Amino acid sequence: MSGADADIFIDARGLEPPEPMVLTLEALDRLAAGQTLLVLLPREPYPLYRTLQINGFIWETRFRDDGAVEVLINHQSL
Amino acid sequence: MQALLSFDQAPPFAAPARFFVTAPLFAMLAGALILSTGPELFVSRWTAAALATTHLLSLGFLSQVMIGAMMQILPVVAGANLSRPLAVARMVHLTLVCGTLLLVLGFLTFNRLAFTSAAWTLGVGLATFVGTAGRALFKVSSNNPTIDGLKLSLLGLIGTVVLGLLLALSLSESWPLPLPQLTALHFGWGVIGWGFSLLLAVALVVVPMFQLTPAYPKWLAQTFCPLSLLLLVLQTIANLAGWSTVADVLASSLALGVALFAMETFRLQRRSARARFDASQQFWRLAMVCMLAACVLWLGLLWLPMLADQPIGPMLCGVLIFVGGFMSVMSGMLYKIVPFLVWLHLQNLCRAGEMAPNMNKVIGAKQIEWQLRVHLGALAFLLAAALSPSWFAYPAGAALLVANGGLLHNMLSALLFYRRHAARLMAAREDGASR
Repeated sequence: MSGADADIFIDARGLEPPEPMVLTLEALDRLAAGQTLLVLLPREPYPLYRTLQINGFIWETRFRDDGAVEVLINHQSL
Repeated sequence: MQALLSFDQAPPFAAPARFFVTAPLFAMLAGALILSTGPELFVSRWTAAALATTHLLSLGFLSQVMIGAMMQILPVVAGANLSRPLAVARMVHLTLVCGTLLLVLGFLTFNRLAFTSAAWTLGVGLATFVGTAGRALFKVSSNNPTIDGLKLSLLGLIGTVVLGLLLALSLSESWPLPLPQLTALHFGWGVIGWGFSLLLAVALVVVPMFQLTPAYPKWLAQTFCPLSLLLLVLQTIANLAGWSTVADVLASSLALGVALFAMETFRLQRRSARARFDASQQFWRLAMVCMLAACVLWLGLLWLPMLADQPIGPMLCGVLIFVGGFMSVMSGMLYKIVPFLVWLHLQNLCRAGEMAPNMNKVIGAKQIEWQLRVHLGALAFLLAAALSPSWFAYPAGAALLVANGGLLHNMLSALLFYRRHAARLMAAREDGASR
């Protein structure tokens, strides 16, 4: 999935912590059932996984050839 | 805003915070010891006071910060969760504090019981840390150089501790071991195997992340940690076998590796997206300058007999490595890691739609800049004291004391900031729940 296909897309590369986490959590608040959030990051976001798990989201992580990491997020109920 | 962390998995703030608050206290003790001993401390690195000061800085300050940071970094950067993090932190912290104090007492009094107690206390504490961190790390598949580097740094710590225990027990039990040779190996394993490996592994993540630079090049990220440890093992073998030229060539390769890392960090810093360097970046820059200077001096000591015969060289090298290099870089890292942790844990207490206070408010920028200047002053006085002890020993001790008093003040203000806001957020939560 590309950024254009996701309902909400965040390119968090080049942002200083905790900005990527803040933007992602704010987007999760807005994410409606059935919608997808795609976050592009410079590395694998381990703390985010725990956050997603305890807040009822599912995710899929893809490693791009340029070293960036894509995390595709949905509500668990789907 | 969603809940951030589940506390059964993430270490509570109290786990790493105790290490970060204790570290400057040990550096303050080092300053006080320099003040009480005076110029005599700088005569040779083999004086009791010099050995005690070195361990107050390396074990008391640096290892405290490194272990505290590692406890936090493992779950965040590597996804490696420590089992019972708070209990482990309490135990490791207590043994590290008591063991360091006993070791320092051993050096200052040459009391055999102090050396034996220090060896057992530090051995048990550090073995607990290595066991817990190792178990968490080796469960994680190695998919990036940072995870590999963290694993290798644990091997470096094991080497350092084993050699240190041998030395401490030799002193207490009068074992007929070649102490200067073992000391050189202990120093090499501590600086390269433990310190540099961990610095490298962490730098691969924190430099691009907090300094907004491009990533380190792949050739450096993937090869430097394993290569450094391999060269260190070969250097140790050559040293023990008595092949002094081979050992010196391998030691020189290690120095060149450290210098290359420092230059690469400079290159990345020049490409930072931040228009004006903050104090944390200045700490890193200072550390890299000192590491480069230490490498040049190290090479000089290895290959120029006229330099090797002077006691000033190793003393200058020690100040550049421990205070200029590692203490600077650890301080720079603390000023990023601690505010980030405060923000993370406060955010976790926030109710839906609520935001934790801005990370930059946790420790004021002016407080950090002031501490950077005093740290720089302490480093300059310590270098001057190595060259001219009678003139500069007392100012150096006082400056080290003040600089780390400043760091302690900044760490405590972060802790108080956390407590104040945590209490406010908890009260608001309870208030909301009771309505």
